[in-house]
Amino acid sequence: MATAPKDFRFGNFVGSLVWLIFWVIVIVSLVGLPLIFIILFYIPLPYSNGEVITPYLFLSMIVDPTRTIPIIKFLIHTDIFRAAVFPGFMYAALIAATTIFVERKFLAKMQLRTGPLYAGKIEGILQLMADGLKLISKEIIAPSGADKPIFWSTPIIFVATAAALTALIPVAPGWVVSDLDVGLLAIFAILGFFPLIALLFSWSSNSKYPFIGGLRALHQMIAFEIPFILSALSIVLLSASLNLTDIVEAQYSFWFFAIAPLSAFVFYISSLAELERVPFDLPEAESEIVAGWLTETSGMIYGLIQLGTYLKLYVLAALFVILFMGGWMGPQIFPQDLIPGYSGEKIYNATVVNGIFWFTIKTFGIIMLILLPRGINPRIRIDILLHTGWYKLIVLSFINMFIVLAMIYGGVITPGGLQ
Amino acid sequence: MSSSIIKKTSTATGFIKAIESGSKHLLMKRFTLRFPEQKLKFVGDGYQFDPKRGVGIAGSRGRHILFHEKCTGCQLCAITCEGIAEAIEMVKVNEKWKQNKKSIMPQIDYGKCVFCGLCVDACPFYALYMTNDFELSSFTKEHLIYTPAQLAVKPKYDGTVEVKIDERGASHG
Amino acid sequence: MTNEYNESFERKLKETTKFGLEVVKEAAEDRLMTLSVGPQHPGSGHFRFTIKVDGDYIVYCDPDPGYVHRGEEKMCEYRNYIQNIPHLERPVIHDSTNITYSYSLAVEELLGIEVPRRGQFIRAIASELNRQVYTLYWLAIYGIFLGHSTMFMWPAGDRELFIDLLAALTGARVTHAFNIPGGVRNDIPDGFKEKCLNYINYFDKRLKEYEDIFYNNPLFRQRTENVGILPKEDAINLGVTGSVLRASGVPHDVRKVEPYDVYNEVDFKVQYMKTCDSFARAYVPFLDMRESCHITRQLLDKMPESGEVRVKLQSNPKGRIGEAYKRVESGRGALSYYIVSDGSSKPYRVKISVGSFRNILALPHLLVGSRLGDMPSIYWALNYWPVEADR
Repeated sequence: MATAPKDFRFGNFVGSLVWLIFWVIVIVSLVGLPLIFIILFYIPLPYSNGEVITPYLFLSMIVDPTRTIPIIKFLIHTDIFRAAVFPGFMYAALIAATTIFVERKFLAKMQLRTGPLYAGKIEGILQLMADGLKLISKEIIAPSGADKPIFWSTPIIFVATAAALTALIPVAPGWVVSDLDVGLLAIFAILGFFPLIALLFSWSSNSKYPFIGGLRALHQMIAFEIPFILSALSIVLLSASLNLTDIVEAQYSFWFFAIAPLSAFVFYISSLAELERVPFDLPEAESEIVAGWLTETSGMIYGLIQLGTYLKLYVLAALFVILFMGGWMGPQIFPQDLIPGYSGEKIYNATVVNGIFWFTIKTFGIIMLILLPRGINPRIRIDILLHTGWYKLIVLSFINMFIVLAMIYGGVITPGGLQ
Repeated sequence: MSSSIIKKTSTATGFIKAIESGSKHLLMKRFTLRFPEQKLKFVGDGYQFDPKRGVGIAGSRGRHILFHEKCTGCQLCAITCEGIAEAIEMVKVNEKWKQNKKSIMPQIDYGKCVFCGLCVDACPFYALYMTNDFELSSFTKEHLIYTPAQLAVKPKYDGTVEVKIDERGASHG
Repeated sequence: MTNEYNESFERKLKETTKFGLEVVKEAAEDRLMTLSVGPQHPGSGHFRFTIKVDGDYIVYCDPDPGYVHRGEEKMCEYRNYIQNIPHLERPVIHDSTNITYSYSLAVEELLGIEVPRRGQFIRAIASELNRQVYTLYWLAIYGIFLGHSTMFMWPAGDRELFIDLLAALTGARVTHAFNIPGGVRNDIPDGFKEKCLNYINYFDKRLKEYEDIFYNNPLFRQRTENVGILPKEDAINLGVTGSVLRASGVPHDVRKVEPYDVYNEVDFKVQYMKTCDSFARAYVPFLDMRESCHITRQLLDKMPESGEVRVKLQSNPKGRIGEAYKRVESGRGALSYYIVSDGSSKPYRVKISVGSFRNILALPHLLVGSRLGDMPSIYWALNYWPVEADR
């Protein structure tokens, strides 16, 4: 649906392209190349198969297939790849972006309308890119009485904390950015930062509606952290370890969901409250307090906060899958060898690819379950929310913990399988 | 007179019914009319008025159409519109018609017209009707003033989409 | 604040904060925060009201209408009886047939004419369809105020069916200008009756879906039951009207109490509820929509096959010297016109009395002492349309 502007002249267009290329060449040769050489002067070059890889060797290796595979294998196992691309930021951001698009289309189908339709040839698939470009081009307005350092830095801290959470999630056997022995506890510790961030941002906005929204966010998130931790405690009793990889491997015979369904339910409701999703979206209630603690966000700050929220959604859905649904365990459906009879170096590892596949499918299923209440429920009120969080959910999670303890002491289950 | 008493359903049943109702809609057809590609069909030619019987003929109220061979320049449409939107002004035209001694005809400013159709009710000579055409946007305000020559053109409107109701829900198209 | 308002304010403050009155007085000024729920607020429409909040409880409310005042009543004095119709339907453009219905009835009394029977039936059918359009729009906005986006999209979509019907009947989607002193402007088109019955039957099935997902949803019930109680005596004393009055146990509907046109030939029941809370105020319009479907089917059945729809008037009719007062049931309550004429072709004085302006008197009464979270459900359930109240 795009049209060329009325007075489009091809000569001007070509001229602007040439101007752009000129500037790219100037900046690369005067600034970029010297920077690269300075970096290469100070950082030692990596080794592979006993040879030092200089940039020229690197480029020639890429062209030759038998020498490319060790390079790729080496790159995949570096730390920066893990943190930035695979189980880390880019994978999570890709899932977050897909979630935003799928949420809009899913809700639209439930409400008998089409969602985004015109951006991109097939049913609006480039809508997110269009939204991102739009947000980047907007002006970020900070209120004049706002506390500037905190106002500008809080959204970045929000995204950084949400991204830090993705570093603890194991996606496949052996593929986790940081394999802590107290992984589960670390997740709850980092989750405890979010009420503080919401309160900081709303306080520094220096305005009435964000103030009310920030207080509501604080009450809500703190009230639901306790049932959250208590429901995860039943799983710790069953697996005898706080390490997330060990929790997944303890489910090799059956999912923990079968013994602890009440805990799963409590975990699900608490994660809806932590994510501020409908029906618990009071901190951003539009008809009562304009947009709650997000009122003064505009432009890319709003974009960063949405990205952080959807990263948190991925993390909590992945946590549900790890704790209750067996993580990456699933029947092996990928063949052992992609090319039968090949005996050289391989990047393809059948268990790992199988694990990634099942993990992604299960996470998507849980994400759909989290998106569903948005289509069928209105918003809840603060006193009903606090009543539910402090009374009902804590009682339910205790009941399940006692059931699990009874089963363990009765000798029916040991940590790691049926007795 | 009846007062309604609502039965109290339990919480779990309420939620399950709501989820069921929401999921049922995932299988129904979408209701959207995709406007520029699909346009609604209007029945008939447009709103018309019969001054002999004193009653109108049902139709859609869009752009006007002026029949030059019937207009006598009596200004009744302009006088009616003066109290409503002041969108009709009589201008001199270069045509010579037998019934139009002063050679004046109405010129309509669509920036001001509210499409109420009372000017059509006022015309006693069967000269001013309304048509189905509603896509009148332009780039400048001056282009919205339609001269009597522009008003004589019969518009082409080819909308074909209707609301269809079947067991999977209502949809356009 | 006047004296009696001061006392009730202190009483509510004491009840809601549960401290002693002396502590309340000094602590109160410190703890109160003034919020302006103004025109630029997604939860208020084009209307401002100022509230003072103590924690989560509202202790003071001051509605401030007048943001969209246009001088409708004065403008009527410069236009003749027929030219008044387009601008008089604009205050509630969604419900335009009902607001010009009352005007037409009053002017017909001044001109001394009687509308033929088929015209009366068509007028009543257009009025019922328009009532559905307005109530669906109201329900959509109610859903979105409570955060239920699905309840915004479904009524907005189903409203398109009725707008389609009205566009076929009158020629325009929303700005109908259909009622005119003397009858209606045109006869019904071909195939209208079957199309209308088809759509109404489909809509009846949709009403069950609304009940499932919204009215029987436990979260909605918890939020609106026993909230904003308006007892029966208070409702009558404050002078509220329409669905608010019927939700407080008073079975009053202008179409039953003083039937106009053909409403005495139609058989329907007045829907009212005795629980007086916010849920009742949300449920009564829904029940009204069901009744509207029954009424429309009966009207379509009983309509005479042929006949005139409009009395032929001269182009500038002059009224007799005198006054006329007529009342009609619109989507928000009783809407009445009082027209004084001095024998010329323009009215001397037109006074419009709308249901919205009377219902807003209950807003401070209901909001003081309730939570901030109940504000959207109480405010919008009063069925207040700012443009109509300001005229």
